[in-house]
Amino acid sequence: MATTFYQRQADAKKNSTRLIALFVLAVTLIVSSISVTTWLLAENLPRGRRVQMTTGSGFNSSSDNITLAALTGGGALALIVLGSLYKVFQLRRGGGTLVAESLGGRRISSMTQLPEERKLMNIVEEMAIASGVPVPPVFVIKEDGINAFAAGYSPSDAVLGVTQGCIQKLNRKELQGVIAHEFSHILNGDMRISIKLIGILHGILLIGMTGHMVLRNLFYFGGGSRSRRSKKEGGGQIILVILALSVVAIIVGFIGVFFGNLIKAAVSRQREFLADASAVQVTRDPPGIADALKRIGGHSDGSRLESANASEASHLFFSQAVWAGIGGLWATHPPLTERIKAIDPSWNGKFDSSSSTTSSNTSRTSQVTSGFAGSAQGSQTAEIVSEETSGNLRSTTTTPINAIHAGLNVVGEPTLEHQQYASQLIEQLPPTLLDAVHDPYSARAVIFCFLLDSDQEVQKKQLQAIKAQTGDDFHRLVRRLQNHVDDLDVTKRLPVTDLAISSLRSISSKQYREFIKCFNTLIKADEKIDLFEWIMIQVISRHLKPQFEKIKPKRESHTALKKLQPDCETLLSAISEAGNDSEQAIQAFQAGANSLQELSLGPVKGNQSSLRGLAQALENLSSASAKDRRRLIDACALAVEADGIITWQEAELLRGVADLLDCPIPPLLPS
Amino acid sequence: MLIALIVLLFLAAIFVFFIVGIYNTLVRLKNRYENAFAQIEVQLTRRYDLIPNLVETVKGYMAHERETLEAVIQARNQAMSGLKQAAADPSNAAAIQALSGAEQGLTGALGRLFALSEAYPDLKANQNMAQLTEEITTTENKVSFARQAYNDSVTEYNTYKQTFPPVAVAGTFGHVNNAELLDFDSEAIAEAPKVSFN
Repeated sequence: MATTFYQRQADAKKNSTRLIALFVLAVTLIVSSISVTTWLLAENLPRGRRVQMTTGSGFNSSSDNITLAALTGGGALALIVLGSLYKVFQLRRGGGTLVAESLGGRRISSMTQLPEERKLMNIVEEMAIASGVPVPPVFVIKEDGINAFAAGYSPSDAVLGVTQGCIQKLNRKELQGVIAHEFSHILNGDMRISIKLIGILHGILLIGMTGHMVLRNLFYFGGGSRSRRSKKEGGGQIILVILALSVVAIIVGFIGVFFGNLIKAAVSRQREFLADASAVQVTRDPPGIADALKRIGGHSDGSRLESANASEASHLFFSQAVWAGIGGLWATHPPLTERIKAIDPSWNGKFDSSSSTTSSNTSRTSQVTSGFAGSAQGSQTAEIVSEETSGNLRSTTTTPINAIHAGLNVVGEPTLEHQQYASQLIEQLPPTLLDAVHDPYSARAVIFCFLLDSDQEVQKKQLQAIKAQTGDDFHRLVRRLQNHVDDLDVTKRLPVTDLAISSLRSISSKQYREFIKCFNTLIKADEKIDLFEWIMIQVISRHLKPQFEKIKPKRESHTALKKLQPDCETLLSAISEAGNDSEQAIQAFQAGANSLQELSLGPVKGNQSSLRGLAQALENLSSASAKDRRRLIDACALAVEADGIITWQEAELLRGVADLLDCPIPPLLPS
Repeated sequence: MLIALIVLLFLAAIFVFFIVGIYNTLVRLKNRYENAFAQIEVQLTRRYDLIPNLVETVKGYMAHERETLEAVIQARNQAMSGLKQAAADPSNAAAIQALSGAEQGLTGALGRLFALSEAYPDLKANQNMAQLTEEITTTENKVSFARQAYNDSVTEYNTYKQTFPPVAVAGTFGHVNNAELLDFDSEAIAEAPKVSFN
């Protein structure tokens, strides 16, 4: 693909600008149409009535009518702004989970045994590991239409939603295509605009909703007072005005719906082609996603959703979820035929209405070809991986990873190789361990095992702490898992952690507090924080903490790198000191600093670039623009590569740093 | 007067937001405990799947204890149908209570079985038996962990529902009854000997 991850992020941002412009236009139109209508209404009220009405309030000249119009307009504006702000804040707090739940989603347990749900979870886990992001919670929506969505602010709070129809009617290949499509929305930053869009549009749509509500209540309560209208002309007037206002609100509401859908369509349509293309890149199986689209075309329910809340979130979905309007004006997605043709130019235009078990022939043949290429690469990777497994957990293997730069070029762009690596990684995990990470009870034990020190004395202390805080049974479980974890290859620790965190998201806040207490005790046991412990703390506080503690979602900003110079220095120093002696460290630092010449960076002396400082530095650096963050990661990679040897520690730190800077990189493939 | 009207409308809008907020929170908390129930469901199902294996293994050694074995199977079947009903609608308090009761019965029956099995040294030496016991114990721990998470989220829902202002509107929005806590421990079980095979 021609465009890079950063380009697409930048495009996404450009889209936000367009979104705001359209929104302002829509609000202006709505507010002015309300004002004009009010003015016209006031001007043209029958003379006698107007006198009646205005004797009390003093509105009797046309300039007063203008004031009235301005006030009504102002009220409408305030309502829109208030409505949007309310929804935006609500979404900030609830994130993707809120969207999924408002659509009636039921969360799939990470340890589900139902074959269809298990299949889906496996696909999601593979894709997450291949993309270097935590495994997102998956929600099933009880709908027959074939559809799916991704929602959230950042990869760490993203959720996936999949309809029942999607799980039942698609085969594995097709499902994989759909999930890959959704993941590319997560990685490309589309999700962030989409969820903002829900919030912002809420205000516009609110006017119409209020009109409906007032009108309904008026008939409900107004019945009694209407009979007395002849006696109290003023009260009747009020009701008349309210009636008129709510009818206006409903009409204006249509303007809102019209613009709302237009905005959604404008922002979301072309992103869908991109997501399709990315999905093909990951699965390298064009027929998979094309077949899924054909099946939507052939299915009687298509991708339609019944839920009343679906219209609000229609632009999040895999395929058109609500009516596309006349001539597809409101289409949030390009027509199916166009999307299929873009993926599969030789398509004959026939949709597939058969069930998933009798998959179409085109998919079979290409499965064979891609399967062939895949297995060749697969066996190669397998060899390397099995070589790697000899490396013990705590030994410092110095395997050269020539692929590191290749790894960087695919930030946010996992390929088939990464996907295969991920699926193999999961396959090769001992079943006991895989079972353990899928279950919140034992997933905690796996995390604790990672934190056990190699020093026997410290380890004894740690195990005692576990026994004291969590009881005998749990202590025994930790002991049992310990061997499996110790045998685990170092490169697999972060992916396994990602799996475990996804299960831990379903514990209660009370259980979370107990978990964190024990977690901290284990880390503090040896009275120093090593690199891996540091990364674990970062991963937990980034991917698990937000679920249980109130944390403000990060704002998008573009602080210039110049202003962040000390933070750049801290980061580069820490990276160059990892796995290097002091002389090499200076060289490594220079190698990295050279790529950021305009900053003229100097290395920070040892104790200042402690890991504690690094966390703060990364926090500050995450306010830089996506482009600058990429340059930073490039500089880090150069520093890591400087001595020609890349240890797994360096690689791990690099991945951790990239994750904290919101540029997830796929696992570094052994070369 | 018209200004007053606009102010009134504005206040009405704010009031509506407030009510909608309460409604949404109620729905969210309800969803949360229902999702937490799904976790228990997985663990309980695994537990029920293990029991026939256990009975099969024990049968050969404990032919004279047919009654105990049958009681275990019966309690297991009862708990299983209780789970099915509770899973269909976790907000149904009666179904949750029935499941609690059935689970208590099953735990009691299992406890008696394990107590009796102490008298059969051959059975204790059986590799298969040791493995099953271990697995059942682990699953029981997982069940109690998932149950704790469920009870925490139920408590959160009930507490929110009973505070003011939500208490004023919860009934209107269909959140009439409190969600039921799952309670698997009863005095009968406290008396039953603990699983001990090591």
